[in-house]
Amino acid sequence: MVAATSQRANVMRSALWAGLIALIAGGVLSLATSASAETHVVEMRGFEFFPAEVNAAIGDTIVWINKDVVPHTATAADGAWDSGLMETDDEFSLTIEADTSTGDYVCTFHPNMVGVISLD
Amino acid sequence: MFRKIFLPCAAGLFAVLGASAANAEDGGLNDMQIAHIAYVAGQIDIQYAEIAMKRSHNADVRAFAETMLRDHKSVNDAALALLEKLGATPEDNPTSKSLLASAAAKRAELKALKGAAFDRAYAANELSYHQFVNKTVEGTFIPAAQNAEFKDLLGVALATFKVHESHAEKLVKKLGK
Ligand SMILES: [Cu+2]
Repeated sequence: MVAATSQRANVMRSALWAGLIALIAGGVLSLATSASAETHVVEMRGFEFFPAEVNAAIGDTIVWINKDVVPHTATAADGAWDSGLMETDDEFSLTIEADTSTGDYVCTFHPNMVGVISLD
Repeated sequence: MFRKIFLPCAAGLFAVLGASAANAEDGGLNDMQIAHIAYVAGQIDIQYAEIAMKRSHNADVRAFAETMLRDHKSVNDAALALLEKLGATPEDNPTSKSLLASAAAKRAELKALKGAAFDRAYAANELSYHQFVNKTVEGTFIPAAQNAEFKDLLGVALATFKVHESHAEKLVKKLGK
């Protein structure tokens, strides 16, 4: 009886281990894929983009967050993409694709606010 | 004496009132008078911008005026929210009254102009108005402000108006003499 019980316990334990290993492997795999597609956060703060320059790769996402009291925009210098008006704490995300317009972008409300997206 | 007492925000109103009692004695402005002047100053620039939106056909002037409408409203809304949180009411005073009187005269002057002459006069006034307001906020209001949160908000307002000042400077240059 005792032996049989411990046998079952062993089977269960190895099943648990197998599950755990699968979970870890899955986690590592998903980490690997997310590592190749990064998210870059740019804050709009004190009438500046922080950081002012982002080095991004295709597949990455850039998220702008307005931390100022006044509204801002993040707008491609060539107008190819535009967040539109962002109130305090609003977020805008842009996923960089092969044909996304990179380089300079501005806040259309405050022409002194300039940022750059450079491609890795 | 009152000015040295630092109180957390729940007791902010008492700090403001205490400061006002102390300041009234030495003839300076108290926080609620400063708040009134700063709010009025924002409203005045909103009114100038409203005139520009009615009279100007210049894209740069209109974009600038829209930014003034948007930003001054945001800053004034933030000021009202803080005052409400502190349970305080802005206090009318002679400086607010004289600001309003000279703004009324300037509005009449602007309304008599049109076309490029209006655009140049509006831009020039925006530059000198922001220069004047910034000098006052930086040199007088921020040093005099007692409540820490109010002082911070004045700092935010100053940063905003300085951006407007440099924007106005570029606009004046672009429109020419
Ligand atoms: Cu902006």
